[in-house]
Amino acid sequence: MITTEVTIDELAALMKKAAGITVDPQELKQAAESPFDSFGLDSLGLLGIVGELENRYGRSLPPDSERCRTPREFLDLVNSTLTAGA
Amino acid sequence: MSNRRTRRAAVTGIGVIAPNGLRPDAYWKSVSEGVPVLDRITREGCDHLPLRVAGEVRAFDAAAIVEDRFLVQTDRFSHFAMAAAALALDDAGLGSGDPAEPFSVGVVTAAGSGGGEFGQRELQKLWGQGSKFVGPYQSIAWFYAASTGQISIRGGFKGPCGVVASDEAGGLDSLAHAARAVRRGTGTMIVGAAEAPLAPYSMVCQLGYPELSTVDDPDRAYRPFTSGACGFVPAEGGAILVVEDEDRARERGAAVRATVAGHAATFTGASRWEESREGLARAIRGALDEAGCAPEEVDVVFADALGVPEADRAEALAIADALGAHGTRVPVTAPKTGIGRAHCAAPVLDTVAAVLALEHGQVPPTPNVLDVCHDLDLVTSRARPAELRTALVLSRGLMGSNAALVVRRGGESAR
Repeated sequence: MITTEVTIDELAALMKKAAGITVDPQELKQAAESPFDSFGLDSLGLLGIVGELENRYGRSLPPDSERCRTPREFLDLVNSTLTAGA
Repeated sequence: MSNRRTRRAAVTGIGVIAPNGLRPDAYWKSVSEGVPVLDRITREGCDHLPLRVAGEVRAFDAAAIVEDRFLVQTDRFSHFAMAAAALALDDAGLGSGDPAEPFSVGVVTAAGSGGGEFGQRELQKLWGQGSKFVGPYQSIAWFYAASTGQISIRGGFKGPCGVVASDEAGGLDSLAHAARAVRRGTGTMIVGAAEAPLAPYSMVCQLGYPELSTVDDPDRAYRPFTSGACGFVPAEGGAILVVEDEDRARERGAAVRATVAGHAATFTGASRWEESREGLARAIRGALDEAGCAPEEVDVVFADALGVPEADRAEALAIADALGAHGTRVPVTAPKTGIGRAHCAAPVLDTVAAVLALEHGQVPPTPNVLDVCHDLDLVTSRARPAELRTALVLSRGLMGSNAALVVRRGGESAR
């Protein structure tokens, strides 16, 4: 079965791919409530990640996804959207 | 302080990323020895294009110099600019960032080509896969202002920033802009230009210029001021300088390598080379006037040297018009014949060569150029030792801008 859950590990990989930000997944997990900019990810970087996910899953994410402030908030929104549509 | 009028802009740091050297010392060694490095273009995807020869920056490893996020988010022209800025700041003894007074440090760069390689990659995604595959950094990476922004972000510089988009001569205009900012009270300006026009899309953009040399022999492709002049050869790379208030530089014990003494710019229209004579002459007079410099005080001229017969003639006449009889006696040089013209960065690299020439007491030669067919004392073959206090740097752009900059040896103008 194809999982529609985006994990912390995948988010870390996307941060690297879309914005060149290297972040340890463990660290990202522990600091999941910290703002994205504390990891060096700016709004364009988050927009790039949203684009990557939309292309990967072939569907649109809600406009609010690119305005999420923290990794936790972002993953919750993305995964609830993907799960709801599964 | 009420001494606004007496504030002088001093060059205290130099960074170079050029086809003939990735540091100022390597650049000067090659320039002063007159070693030409023009060669067949080897960059990927370019071998089917009729432009064959250029000045490529080959040993540059962006990943060793700038962080991953800049590699992903910015174009090669910004990588050059960030690398050159880091070298310049290091040379000035200012480290690479987090200044004690961030609002006293500004950045200004000139750009004429933008991020062509990055833009091409994203446009290929647009037409190959669709608009949803275009990355958001396309919105900033191709843009002329990208290097200014990224240098200021990387270093935490929050002073007055800007970008000069005024054609090739904009390289000199950016130096003038920085000098003005310093005279108006900004402590330190990081200034210069870098270009990366050697990628397929960027090269195709240049093919329309009638002034472009498509000769495929590197030794014959760019020979201004000769009867074999057949246009110019493009180059990539750039230079960044640290310009700061001279008194402040001396207070902190920094070496004042030169002062930016005068500048003027004019416009005479795209490819109207005959008209550039008057425009360039007026720019020279304006720059000398601002510097309080008599024509006879000019010890060396770094020529624009476009390599188009009509343009070369106009430049030789402009020098004579502005400097009088001294114009035929003053040593003139064009080290860019060895490395190519890096568009806006070309006159900045020339300004670096001028500062180094003043320091070393040597006029570097004009590689690949012999048998000068104009009434100029063009230095060829090997460097000429000379007592140099004042250099005049000239630049013209393909779109019609003309500019002249006067630089004086460090400390010379203090009296």
